[in-house]
Amino acid sequence: MISSEMKNLIKRFPSFENSFIGLEYAPRLPKAMVRETRELVAYARKFNEKVVRPNSLALDRLTHENPDYLPYDLMKTIADWGLYTMWVPKIFGGKGKNLPSSAPFIEELSSACVGIANVMGVTYLGLTSLLTSFNMRMTNRVLKDMIEGERTGKPKLIDFAITEPIAGTDAEDMDLVDRGRVITRAEKVNGGYLVNGRKVFISMGHVSEWTVFYAYTDLKKPSQTMIGLAVKNCANGFSVGRHEDKMGQRVCPASEIIFEDCFIPDDQVLIDAESIRKFTRKSPSEVMMRHIDFLASSSKAGVCAIGTGVARGALEEALKFASTTEVKGRLLINHQWAQGMLAEMYKNVVLGRLAYQEANYANSSRGVYDMLQMKPVFYYLKLMPPSYFRMLEPMLNSDLSTWVMSKMYFDLKKQENVDCCAGMSALAKVAGTDIGMKNCQLAMDLMGEAGLLQANGMEKRLRDAKLLQIYEGSNQMNRLITFKGLIAPSVPQARLFEQ
Amino acid sequence: MISLMNDDTKSFEDLALSFAGKELAHRRESSDRYPFGSFDNTILAKAHELGFLNITLPEDLGGIGQGISTLCVVLESICRTDASLGAVIFTNTLAQKIILRSGSVDLLSDTVSQGHLIACSAYSDPGEHKDLPRAEKGRKGYTLTGSACYVVLAPIAAYALLPAKVAGQEGYSFFLVGLSHPGVKTSEPVFSLGVHACPVGDLTLDRAEAELAGQEGKGAAYFGEASGVMSAAAAAISLGIMRGSFDYALSYSNEREQGGWPIVNWSMIKTILADMAVQTRIGDMSVSGACSAMENRLPGWDICVKTAALHVQDAACQVTTEGIQVLGGYGYMKDYGQEKRFRDAQQMKTLLGMAPLRKVELLDRINTR
Repeated sequence: MISSEMKNLIKRFPSFENSFIGLEYAPRLPKAMVRETRELVAYARKFNEKVVRPNSLALDRLTHENPDYLPYDLMKTIADWGLYTMWVPKIFGGKGKNLPSSAPFIEELSSACVGIANVMGVTYLGLTSLLTSFNMRMTNRVLKDMIEGERTGKPKLIDFAITEPIAGTDAEDMDLVDRGRVITRAEKVNGGYLVNGRKVFISMGHVSEWTVFYAYTDLKKPSQTMIGLAVKNCANGFSVGRHEDKMGQRVCPASEIIFEDCFIPDDQVLIDAESIRKFTRKSPSEVMMRHIDFLASSSKAGVCAIGTGVARGALEEALKFASTTEVKGRLLINHQWAQGMLAEMYKNVVLGRLAYQEANYANSSRGVYDMLQMKPVFYYLKLMPPSYFRMLEPMLNSDLSTWVMSKMYFDLKKQENVDCCAGMSALAKVAGTDIGMKNCQLAMDLMGEAGLLQANGMEKRLRDAKLLQIYEGSNQMNRLITFKGLIAPSVPQARLFEQ
Repeated sequence: MISLMNDDTKSFEDLALSFAGKELAHRRESSDRYPFGSFDNTILAKAHELGFLNITLPEDLGGIGQGISTLCVVLESICRTDASLGAVIFTNTLAQKIILRSGSVDLLSDTVSQGHLIACSAYSDPGEHKDLPRAEKGRKGYTLTGSACYVVLAPIAAYALLPAKVAGQEGYSFFLVGLSHPGVKTSEPVFSLGVHACPVGDLTLDRAEAELAGQEGKGAAYFGEASGVMSAAAAAISLGIMRGSFDYALSYSNEREQGGWPIVNWSMIKTILADMAVQTRIGDMSVSGACSAMENRLPGWDICVKTAALHVQDAACQVTTEGIQVLGGYGYMKDYGQEKRFRDAQQMKTLLGMAPLRKVELLDRINTR
């Protein structure tokens, strides 16, 4: 076969490039990453054994007794275990573990308790929103605070706020936001912005130190006027409102955040039209969509890992029950129908894990992790001592580093790579969270009456699982993003959000 | 349930819907706080006044003597708003049915006249358990020793109908136990997934006085007959829950806007709602058909009823999952009732025993016909 013919054939939908992402990335994967991930999985298992499993059900019960409970003690324990800085890149002073390894880690924690996993994990959503703004100076400032918090045993976490009372799905896509009704307005004033508005369902809002959020300078043209900001939660005009009474994941609070004439100085602006003009001719709307895509490509692989963890927890719970419970004179594990159900659950876990791994291979080879996961960069960051990176701090605080990173990712990165990563992570999010729910329902069926008792742990997993299909974009929205990223580019006549 | 409607059942439906609207809707969230909030006895008292706790009990025993169709219509109507009361009615009626099947109707006279509830293990088939309490026959009658776990209504009932093994006897027997007897200890309410206002407790029995229902060793037969009939009631509860979930999701999707439209106009949401509607309508037809078959004693009615229960209970779990999804984040919060319906549907799927076992048994029954 001549090479041009082969090229043509493998480019056809679905392209080889989008179908075998892991296969293409494997030779480029730094070997030390495997060892590092293995060590982290072992550390997660130890953390589960010592912290998560002994506390999970009691904390869930406590939040039912006292719906206002906030997890300060748990945050302190997580900080003591060093988990809040584990994936903070070394250039910002963290432990700098490879970012894709956070997914197997969160799978482990979620197999024991999603609520506790999120008391750790949500701050990494905040961290990712900072990193993918590519505002190096502000990222450095906030992360230094976070590292200091862990060192002193007073965790200073970051939450991330996008959802508004009447704009959930609308706030996540630049094609929808102009048709929706966002209400968080940023008015330019001398030296900064004055923000008024509200955000809802913000995980860890009550207990975080920093909030990364979006506001709009013109509520009638939000896609063109969206800006990213960071604010300290003790700022004047910032307050937390309602602590939501959720069905599950209760140890991780969901908060309403209120801005009332909240002044945010210019140096806390992460990204706005003015900063965008400095590195690209792309419209602010295009750049902000890329920012959201980068952020979501990372976070949705993580949510798939959470779903996979829930699915695994359900399997483990069902297996324990089936191995120790007699039904009709025989152990349940020896009923063929039960063996079939357990095998189905095991299959789901494996498929969920493959989905988040493949999404992260996309992120590592063509997306937001590609620079950090290049072998030379990976080993350079891994081997150089922390003192070396402290010397580089002035560079992080310069406009040049922000310009270079923004140019590379917001301007020069090929759209097809952005689309592939966004599509793969959306696909993984749907797959992982749907199997999380499916396995919980199968385990509930298999356990019958025993599954209903809170003290047995299974019903909590079911309650926890349902939220996964809703946050980080509803699974309906994520199906559309999968379509947009992986199918529509091959079909010129395809249009989104047209009714 | 359209095909079950006649003048009688319609008036019961109107009564139950009006009761649910006036008495249950505004208390749903606060009742659901139990066992961390208080238990609201006024609902039970009012339900008793209207006869909801004794719907199928013969009139000469103090009931209102209605058939299974009326019970299903009432349960479906109530459970659209709150399934907890449905589960209370179900449990009490199941205990009554087992006693009626045993022939020991005199055991019911006290409970009915005093307005007392009878607790029983509504979430399991006693045949699935290997550790039943032991029954001993003495000069004054029977006593029970051992433990009975997850007995529905135990924290609020005056009596419990419990399965127990009589030494030397094959199978198990049913006994009525007064829960205020010194030999009975009731645990704190067991915190569970759903229907929180239908409390569950564990019982510890130490030579507790008990009265035999029917004959020794015949428990499985009584349970089999009663559960055959009550499968229709279990299905009606799940049907009510999914109907409530669909109705609320539909009304929400006409009000909530995203992308500049009420979300009902987005075809992806429309297909979800359509799937919910299909399941609800098919559920209605299944329960109605099963009730008609049972009341007319058509051949194979028991298979119809058990099939309806398995189908509708499973569908309710799927429909209520989507019922949350349509509301997005709001559906997951306790203020909107949808998350409760999701929990309740899963809890109700376990009524009368593990669903997969009931499925295997159904096929055995079909195969032996």
